[in-house]
Amino acid sequence: MAASLRTASSSLSAQLVSVAGLIGRPVRTGDGQKVGRVVDLICRNDAQAYPPVAGLVVRVGFRRIFVPGAQVAEISGSAVILASAQIDMHDYQRRSGERLLMGHIVDHQVVDVDGVRVVRVSDLYLARLGSMWCLVGVDVSMTTLLRRLGPAVFRVRPTPDRVIDWAVIQSFGTGEQPVRLASDRAALHRLRPAQLADLLEELGRSQRQELLSRLDPGTAADAVEEMEDDDVRELLRDADEATTVELMVHMEPDEAVDALRDLDHEQREEILASVPEATSTELRQLLAYDEDVAAGIMTSRLITLTGNQTVGDATTLLREYVAENGNDLTYVVVVDEEGRLVDDITVVELLIAGPATPLSDLVGEPWPVTVTADLPIDELAQAFIDNRGSSVLVLDSQRRPLGRVMADDLVDVFATQRRGLLWRKS
Amino acid sequence: MNQMAIRRPTPWKRIAAVAAIAGPGLIAANAGNDAGGIATYASAGSQFGYRTIFLMVLVTIGLVLVQEMSARLGAHTGEGLVSLFREHFSLRTATFAMVMLLIANLGLVVSEFAGIGAALEMAGVSRYMAVPVAAAAIWALVVFGSYRYAERIFLLFTLAFLGYPIAAILSHPHWRDVAANAAVPHLLGSAAFITLAIQLVGTTITPYMQLFQAAAVADRPGSVNLRVIRLDAVSGAIFANVISIFIIIATAAAIGGSGPLASADQAAKALVPVAGHGAEALFAFGLFGAAALAAAVVPLSTSYALAEAVGVERSVSNTFKEAPLFLGMFTFQIVIGAVVALAPGNLITLLLNMQTLNGVITPIILGFILVLANRRSVLGENVNGPVFRVAAAACVVVVGALALVFVYQTVQGWGWVP
Repeated sequence: MAASLRTASSSLSAQLVSVAGLIGRPVRTGDGQKVGRVVDLICRNDAQAYPPVAGLVVRVGFRRIFVPGAQVAEISGSAVILASAQIDMHDYQRRSGERLLMGHIVDHQVVDVDGVRVVRVSDLYLARLGSMWCLVGVDVSMTTLLRRLGPAVFRVRPTPDRVIDWAVIQSFGTGEQPVRLASDRAALHRLRPAQLADLLEELGRSQRQELLSRLDPGTAADAVEEMEDDDVRELLRDADEATTVELMVHMEPDEAVDALRDLDHEQREEILASVPEATSTELRQLLAYDEDVAAGIMTSRLITLTGNQTVGDATTLLREYVAENGNDLTYVVVVDEEGRLVDDITVVELLIAGPATPLSDLVGEPWPVTVTADLPIDELAQAFIDNRGSSVLVLDSQRRPLGRVMADDLVDVFATQRRGLLWRKS
Repeated sequence: MNQMAIRRPTPWKRIAAVAAIAGPGLIAANAGNDAGGIATYASAGSQFGYRTIFLMVLVTIGLVLVQEMSARLGAHTGEGLVSLFREHFSLRTATFAMVMLLIANLGLVVSEFAGIGAALEMAGVSRYMAVPVAAAAIWALVVFGSYRYAERIFLLFTLAFLGYPIAAILSHPHWRDVAANAAVPHLLGSAAFITLAIQLVGTTITPYMQLFQAAAVADRPGSVNLRVIRLDAVSGAIFANVISIFIIIATAAAIGGSGPLASADQAAKALVPVAGHGAEALFAFGLFGAAALAAAVVPLSTSYALAEAVGVERSVSNTFKEAPLFLGMFTFQIVIGAVVALAPGNLITLLLNMQTLNGVITPIILGFILVLANRRSVLGENVNGPVFRVAAAACVVVVGALALVFVYQTVQGWGWVP
């Protein structure tokens, strides 16, 4: 059933059962005797597109019992009919790996991965697939809410005019049990970091952590880099150590430092103590600079080569870099034997030249405009304008490259801090 | 490994950071000093002198408990109150709570426009011109995005109310009387006192403030330290109520014993010690600023909370087509608020009556908040401890009892019951 359920037709409505409407309806045995009333439905957290209903929670007198899905013969809008005339009265117990449809999903937020948005579930729909009743759709419309408030005859009637296919829905646990759940939607991992960042920002606290834990570290780091400072701070506060370490290692150092600066001292030290030493040293070096100067927002990851190395060597290093860090590097730095800056070569120039070309051939005008580590950020803008590139090199007093200020970091500073005089032209 | 020193933010940044952190709690609590608040506190002073100060102390304790709970709910879950209602109560219960909240907040919007009308009446402008123009202007400012600047101007206007503590001191009240009234309970059984008590509760522990506190903390925590968040909520509540008590003292010293507040001019007399002939102008400025600020913030927050609970688009940069519920609710509240404020009659009396409405609805919303904060499934480890449960429950019971007494006395007054 891969087709979207967005079209509404009466025949379709006849096939669907509204979960919200089912709550409180009678449960009868095969010979028509009423046993109790439906309290909730249970699905297991597995990776199926349309998970079957694993069982029901039924209220019998003062007890809540569990009825396995296998014992259910028929689910209609107005009642649940069991297969046999007898039922075993096992008390219902919460188990991990199970989710209550009404208690945990309806009225809560889930992610529509296809539409890349966070939605609130108005109702869930079941349909019969083969011999099992399965969860097939999420209703997010407001009219459904009104329907649920109405009398029983309306409540049970499905109103599938804004229904999202359950196969593209990423749902969450309750936050009480921080379990790493297996059911990920594949499409979730294909979302762009900016889209993931939007989703993360909109979710509640526990769901945010859950979503973050489902992403692979590289994707998670990319998404966090796109988030607002306030949200990143909150996220780091809540994340467990393993997740935090992964994020710090995979984030670009300039972004990681940005996030770390906002934390209080204790938290920062905790994080720095738990990341690998190489990362910790890199981050501490950057943190030692004030955030108001060029070096405070730069990234320290550079690819440096000497003039007698070739374009082919540069390509090899780039390949290694991209494999580890993603492909946002567009320059390589050429230095002399003492490590001092000679030139900043664009990747485009490398591409045009042949692999055997020595880098010294590519060195020449236009020379890069560079800045010192302690240049105030307000004056960086002019350097960017003069350089006409997407980043500006930061040098120490011996003209050795320390790092690079990226254009997006500079824009971020101005956008978030709303400084009065943005462009101090000298 | 070479431990390099990590540069801390400069002292100026630290101050700015603290000021930013002081945000949600202070702003939320000062929402209590809106047009309705000013009118109610002034009325308390003019009717009963200093005798309501003890009540204010009790109300402050209640407010602190409630604001702290709201802040904790917002901080722990990252969601607003109405969303929590929907997630943890049945849809019918949640809808009932939302409707109660909406009615209470509509009452607030009415009182803000009444306040704008009263302030401009002091300047000689007829309310039939002032209110519609103000409503249209505020609506346009918010919807077309330039509200930021207006917000700052209105905030500046409200600084006029810092004149109250000064006026209170300059009016040389009998401080011994004041202290005595703060420490010793003075609870009269008269109908007027009960009504005023409900008004004080309604304007100080107004349900809107809990909504705002939780939402502000959930959206923009400022600090992620729960202790700081809670401290901010508590200190904000106390600070705002201290100002409120000064309003009572200053008004009591000026016009104490003259019965319920009847006009804004009367209330302005309280500021004579500090502003002399300019007292009326000062008061009008302050009233206008406070009312205009709230007239935008209250409907906006309410619409936002509702849209979040329903799960639809909710940004002022949306068009009506994109966010019909959010913008529609906002417009609806402004329109109803302005229309009711245009009804002929004493604006100050209308203001006070709306606080009464809030006061009656307050125990309902407080009850819901308390239930949420008592559940481990909502707050996990931050759930209410046993002492807190008792204290908060007592607060809700007292406020509820007061509301019931008031309702009974009202229907008694109508002749429905003997």
